[in-house]
Amino acid sequence: MQNHSQDIKAAAAEYFIKNQPGADEQTKISHFLINVRNANAMILSKNEIQPLNWLPYSFLHKQYYKDLELATRLHKATKWSYNPLVYAEASRRNIDFWNKTKAHFFLMGFFSQDRTFFEYLALSHAFMSEIRLIPLFPADYPIDEPFMAALYDAEVENGRQIQTQIRLLKDMDLPISRNEKEAIINEKRKIVAGLFENLLQSVCRS
Amino acid sequence: MAIFTYNDHDIHYEFSGEPDTPVITFINGLTQRTDHWIQYAKNLNKAGYRVLSYDLLGQGTSSKPVLFIDFNENPKILAALLDHLRIQQTYVAGVSFGGIIVLHFGIEYPDRVKGLIPMSCFTEMDGQLRYIGLNLYTGMVNVGFEYLVDLLIPINFSSAWIEKNRENIPLLKRTSFSYNDLYAIQNLIESIRDFRPFTKELGKIACPTLILNGEYDCLTPRWAHEVMRLNISNSRLMIMQKVCHAFTIEIPDITCRVIADFADQVETGRWGGDKSVWIAADDPASEEIAFPCQGNHTRAVPFMKKY
Repeated sequence: MQNHSQDIKAAAAEYFIKNQPGADEQTKISHFLINVRNANAMILSKNEIQPLNWLPYSFLHKQYYKDLELATRLHKATKWSYNPLVYAEASRRNIDFWNKTKAHFFLMGFFSQDRTFFEYLALSHAFMSEIRLIPLFPADYPIDEPFMAALYDAEVENGRQIQTQIRLLKDMDLPISRNEKEAIINEKRKIVAGLFENLLQSVCRS
Repeated sequence: MAIFTYNDHDIHYEFSGEPDTPVITFINGLTQRTDHWIQYAKNLNKAGYRVLSYDLLGQGTSSKPVLFIDFNENPKILAALLDHLRIQQTYVAGVSFGGIIVLHFGIEYPDRVKGLIPMSCFTEMDGQLRYIGLNLYTGMVNVGFEYLVDLLIPINFSSAWIEKNRENIPLLKRTSFSYNDLYAIQNLIESIRDFRPFTKELGKIACPTLILNGEYDCLTPRWAHEVMRLNISNSRLMIMQKVCHAFTIEIPDITCRVIADFADQVETGRWGGDKSVWIAADDPASEEIAFPCQGNHTRAVPFMKKY
């Protein structure tokens, strides 16, 4: 499983040595990333209208607006494709995303200290840790043009934003065994990794 | 890429050298990976040793648990990896975070070690070390991984190395950002959050032990290694000239020679673990790789030695 994933990433890294992401590739990448950011922001929006302790509220509030900021920045930075087929494929990938992550499940109700919240945290941790494009580019690849800069900034920001998930996943008191917690986390990671790998395979086919 | 499975986790390792030659195992520092030991493998294979290196849980291409990494699992993982490779005994070298694991392995698995080479590490923390560690952690989680690398560069390397590698440093940072995952390195750091001093347990180490310390290591300074020298009966302390915390990267040829010389002495029965203090040559081509230290090695003020 890990080898298969590494093979796909190695192939993507090989592709980016020879190819710069053009409009089609940027569109596929941005479509996917913006969808992920929007999904997370939609889930986090309910944080604004529910009673919650101040500390988790302030962290999740920050993450909500960061996701909006990073998604809109990516909108601006992307060279959007003129090819309708790229959008058709990207839309199919977005439907796949919602089907597989079942992120809509977290849109309902309020956050509370329960298994559902833990599952959401595991999923959003996977968003921020599994989806990493910068490592697939050569280390000397310039990151000063808007698209690459937006990707890079988002991945650096993920390191800061993920602290909320890390602390809550590790420290939140829940009647779930450690094995169950690890199983939930691994399941979410596998789903997100699979979606990301599909994106990479599509980008490298462009 | 070689993978060993431990409790459903993948451990990536590299193993090279001629069959039936003695094995030297290298344990990574916090943000390192097996690639850091490529030159060591080349040099030491030539010198007649097999070299084993591996990524700790949370590093490089080994599995990266999200929830917890138990520091105490590290010696068990190494023992299991040795079993997997059918290695009965090995020399174990490790730097910084890896150096702590070296000492724990020596304490917990005395039958599996021919010799230990702890480098740039500690068995207890003082106020400065605790604060520096806290600053590194805070910098990483509040600013970012590359900032952690920035913080580490003047700790790890001498000014001469920094000047020489000025143009490569941005590349080094990006590479480190790429192969490391922040949450996983954070897990590794948090695995020693409840670090308890283990100086008192050093007495259990009876095997030949060569303690290596950079002359200008400000993260794990002389006192930390002096504690090891005083508490490990079969030890010697070797000071590496003009280098800092990450001297394994800065002076690999000299470090290889020092390690090979130590292993040769043990293999041929010439090793004398007399708690003496030595200084490594600063030229890798030097005829003698080390000479006895004449001054007081515990002070920056150059007082004469008194025993």
